[in-house]
Amino acid sequence: MSISGDAQAGQRRAARLPGDLAMWFFILAELAVFGILILAFVWAQALQAPLFRAGRQALDASTGLGLTISLLTSGWCAAGAVIQVRRGKRGGTSLLCLALASACGYVILKLREYAHLASLGLGLEHDTFFTLYWLLTGFHFLHVLLGMLILGALAYRCRAGAYGPGRSSSMESGVLYWHMVDLIWVLLFPVVYLLG
Amino acid sequence: MSESVRLLCYWLGLAALTVATVNLARVETGSGIAVVVVALAVAKAWLIIDGFMELRHAPPGWRLALLAWPLAMAAGVLLAYMF
Repeated sequence: MSISGDAQAGQRRAARLPGDLAMWFFILAELAVFGILILAFVWAQALQAPLFRAGRQALDASTGLGLTISLLTSGWCAAGAVIQVRRGKRGGTSLLCLALASACGYVILKLREYAHLASLGLGLEHDTFFTLYWLLTGFHFLHVLLGMLILGALAYRCRAGAYGPGRSSSMESGVLYWHMVDLIWVLLFPVVYLLG
Repeated sequence: MSESVRLLCYWLGLAALTVATVNLARVETGSGIAVVVVALAVAKAWLIIDGFMELRHAPPGWRLALLAWPLAMAAGVLLAYMF
């Protein structure tokens, strides 16, 4: 094979979709659902701007910052775990546990925010802003909880030696789900907490 | 650059953009600030897609489909914001 042929073969090898194909279709479907919810939020805001501005006053952007950093740090650790496993190195389980710990930070912050809003009487039925706030962030929160279960299962299986070089596809799929949760949050956060 | 260092760079970029977004939004909001905040959100989404999800090495169709989602969201958000 010629040098250019080798280079072309290398490029073909490089074009690789991580994880299972089914997971990518699932991710596209989830992004479509969250996309509709996010757009519903912003268009409701366009129709009731003063009400949304007032509702957003009850939210703390610093909490939103903490939530975002927690999720991003968790995503970073999970991505690092995949790299370690693919290389056949140790540390994948520890990184997955760190990802889980960082995700716990998100859960604690979010539950404190929910408790604060509930104590102020700003529940699901308070007004349009809070109806959409609870639906949108609550639906995302459920995805975070499911993602944490997946991370826990991955850590357990990783510790048992179920993954390694050439057999990391199911681990990649689980971690991809977690990155999708991150991806949705980075769009959801400015829409709910910042843009008014 | 090793994969671990590359991941660290992605995380640092994401953290820096997040802090910048929050600080910008604390300034009196206007349509100009809204455009910048949404643009930063799109940049963060692209970092996650190309960096953490590793779509920079994926077949172009899948990569473009994922990269298009934050752009479509940004267009919808800004359209509603300007309404």
